[in-house]
Amino acid sequence: MIKKSDKMEDGKDIADYAIEYGTSKGASYVEARFIDSWDESYSARNGMFLGILENTRKGIAIRVIANGGMGFGSTEQLNKSSIEDLLNTIIRMAKASKRKEPIKFSEEEIVETNWKPEVRQNFIDISREEKKSYIKDLDKRLKSEANKKLKNRISFIQLYTDDKYIVTSEGSKVSSQNSLIVTMLMHTARGKLGSEQKYFSLGGSAGWEWFKDIKFADLAVVAGKALVKTAQNAKGVKFDKPIDIVISGEVAGIMTHENVGHPSEGDRILGREGAQAGESFYADLLKKEELGKAKLGNEIVSVIDDPTIPASAGFYLYDDECVKARPRYLIKKGMLNDLLLNREYAARFNTKSTAAARAITYQREPISRMANTFFEPGDYSMEELIEGVKEGILMNSFTEWNIDDRRFQSKYVGLEVYLIKNGEITDTMVRRPILELTTYGILGSIDALGKDFFTPLGLCGKGDPMQGVPVSMGGPHARLRNISVGGGE
Amino acid sequence: MALSEDMLPKVVDLAKKHGAKEIIAKLINKKEYQIRFSNSMIDIIKEWNLNALELFIARGHRFTVFTIQNPTLEQINKTIPEAVKRLKSLPWSLLYWGMDKTSHHYTSLEGIYDPKIEVFSEKAPDLVNATIQASLEAGAKKTAGVLYFGGIKTGVLTGYGNGGGYDSSYYRITVRSFVDAESSGQDMKVGRSLTNVDKKFIEAGKNAGKLAKMAVGGKQGTPGTYDLIMSPTVAANVFNHIYDGANPIYIVGGMSCLRKIKKGQKIGPNNLTVSDNALIPEGLNSRPFDFEGTPSQITPLIKDGCLNGYIQNTSSAKIWKLLSLLKLRFRTKSKSTGNSYLGGVLDEDIGPRLLAPIPSNYVYEPGDYTLEEIIAESKKPTIYLTSNWYTRFTNYMEGQFSTIPRDGIFLIENGEIQQPVRKLRLTETLLGMLSRIQAIGKDIKQINWWEVKTPTFLPTIKIADCNLTAATQ
Repeated sequence: MIKKSDKMEDGKDIADYAIEYGTSKGASYVEARFIDSWDESYSARNGMFLGILENTRKGIAIRVIANGGMGFGSTEQLNKSSIEDLLNTIIRMAKASKRKEPIKFSEEEIVETNWKPEVRQNFIDISREEKKSYIKDLDKRLKSEANKKLKNRISFIQLYTDDKYIVTSEGSKVSSQNSLIVTMLMHTARGKLGSEQKYFSLGGSAGWEWFKDIKFADLAVVAGKALVKTAQNAKGVKFDKPIDIVISGEVAGIMTHENVGHPSEGDRILGREGAQAGESFYADLLKKEELGKAKLGNEIVSVIDDPTIPASAGFYLYDDECVKARPRYLIKKGMLNDLLLNREYAARFNTKSTAAARAITYQREPISRMANTFFEPGDYSMEELIEGVKEGILMNSFTEWNIDDRRFQSKYVGLEVYLIKNGEITDTMVRRPILELTTYGILGSIDALGKDFFTPLGLCGKGDPMQGVPVSMGGPHARLRNISVGGGE
Repeated sequence: MALSEDMLPKVVDLAKKHGAKEIIAKLINKKEYQIRFSNSMIDIIKEWNLNALELFIARGHRFTVFTIQNPTLEQINKTIPEAVKRLKSLPWSLLYWGMDKTSHHYTSLEGIYDPKIEVFSEKAPDLVNATIQASLEAGAKKTAGVLYFGGIKTGVLTGYGNGGGYDSSYYRITVRSFVDAESSGQDMKVGRSLTNVDKKFIEAGKNAGKLAKMAVGGKQGTPGTYDLIMSPTVAANVFNHIYDGANPIYIVGGMSCLRKIKKGQKIGPNNLTVSDNALIPEGLNSRPFDFEGTPSQITPLIKDGCLNGYIQNTSSAKIWKLLSLLKLRFRTKSKSTGNSYLGGVLDEDIGPRLLAPIPSNYVYEPGDYTLEEIIAESKKPTIYLTSNWYTRFTNYMEGQFSTIPRDGIFLIENGEIQQPVRKLRLTETLLGMLSRIQAIGKDIKQINWWEVKTPTFLPTIKIADCNLTAATQ
């Protein structure tokens, strides 16, 4: 087992020195983020290993503001001379930006603290044999319980830990020790009309105990069985008129993430992602209305993004700009209520940061990101949601999806889908029904939310270079009324 | 201590001495930069320094991969014996079947390094600001984009004595300009030589500004079946998914729409020829040899409209041969195509890195038409897409997908652009589109940006009868 460096103190010293040197060279703001990380990843196909790898990485990210421009650099060379060279370059380049509008950060509380998730079983205390056995046993269960029609079973599990130390020239110092699990199962099942494919992903900030706590293997087997059932039984059903749809927490989750979370990102609203992930239709809304006054959906709809949920995939207590995390009510009772802001974009909105700054490694800058995004549960039981549907579908999972780069016109293709008739779920499975809906179309159609809760993992893509940051997305079952459904092939 | 190629023989010898049967040592020393801009101003300038030794060590079917940052002999002496010892605890890998044992000699590859890269960071911010200004003067109200550039020194040595050293440089700029929130245009320039790069950047800025201006006043498009003209940017994003599937690992993993296509089977028009080409000048992934030290080559994937071959490394070629012996496949002749690369399973930063076939640059043979001729010959209602994003699949093996057009989208009727349109989605199948190619342009351009990972040299392409959809409510 590779051990992480035991020289965290050296990293802290070099980060502290970066602040001292950068400030002396004329930067009005300096931030240093030292990370010492370890990860171990397992990949297998049909129970046979493709590879097991361990990796340690240690380096420092430095961000500066000088003459109103911003510079960023990263290096693994943790000595004073290299840090000085890097700072000299990025300060010079920040000044060379020649911005007409200087970059400013919101004023935030100066903090000196430490955080970490609860971990009962450290990854390094679990033998490699036990980890390998877990993956092989999972595949055996998938093969035997989900049946041989689950032809292609690719499993990927990554275990990650890091020690992080962030220090700013304003005096904040935050240390953390994270522990994160990312899982992805990619399955292909054969059926009468061809094959169906599905990514099944869960994750959490926790130790090895997480697999047992959430009954990961049981959930994976349920997903595998559902895929086989879908491939074997689903058939094309055409709907000539709008119907009601009940969506699961998985489907609700992707909708909250794409249609609500992404447009709430402050940098996107003000154009910084313009050439990559795009902008946001909120830009138009916020020209007409203030936060809290723009209506996006029905009154029962609230969407929360909360980094502070213990053991969640997007867990953190302080963001990568040393701002204390809190739940963000992105939509409250149908109204646009809060945004995902880092300090730069909080300043532009003339408000405080909502602690959304995240960077995936020391080689990346912190930008506004989601953490755990979900519909706030309601009080309906599953039976109550279904009994009010005369004709409709229950969409338990999805496959293809996408959305335009202003986050308004989205598409979700159902995977495990059942026909609902006269308030009852039938045995008829509907093959690949297509929803092509605007964000208003989704949020304005929800009339009931369940009291259950499920939040799968996602690796949210944003930034340039791309930063695939772990998040969760979910919620309860939800009912949407009068939806036009395409597909039916 | 500075990185030096002199270290490589010592590293390889040390690993052999401690029991490694096969080893690849790769030294990388790179300094890269990025300038991001939006709202017509530079947002951030970044510098990345990397000085690392990547090691692949194997015994039988067991392998490990690891990186030593800022390598010193002391670290190497400590790390390699531990890594070789760890091999015992690793499982037999389904994917590793050995590396290239043949001794190779290489011809030098021109056109991948420009020494001007060493001082380019000094003038790059001013060039970006000039590009922004050019776009504004062409009609944009605001401009966003990104410039990447850098210089990389690479040294490779395998346990079989293959490899060598080479320097490379690169730049790629993407400019996306807006007149209003929904009227935008994009252009990019990609290459390795910095000669006349200032003019190229300005041209990209102007083109993006002009397209944005042309997109003003766009109306909601009408869903339906149209002939489709795809700019090189769009065609690369969509069709690269087909060529990515000309890879045994994708086929075995259920990620390829070529799974049921036999070699020699017709899948496109006679004038469609696409190769994996690691030797093309200016290609961002051009290189003299791959990670195993196998010389780079040109591998036709589609030739005269027929599936012609697959990219391979040593291991995948052996797997392919084994599959054909088992009669699970009907392909026999398999050898490495010089595409061995240490890549992530899911992404550069996510998942285990495996030694697998990875594409270099995709290169099309040019067709006969200019863009203007393709437009002029479009008498039926035709949609011209200039950019797209967010391509996702219902089923990779079927190639069933949709993607979102963005930036200038234009309706063409009677051979002329009639009006800009908006808010359409292309919903199609990959092989269906490939089989309906009507025209291939001669305007070959290198594409590599946020939505196109493999550098691709390709022209405008026209396809008949494509399905475009829109939101229903």
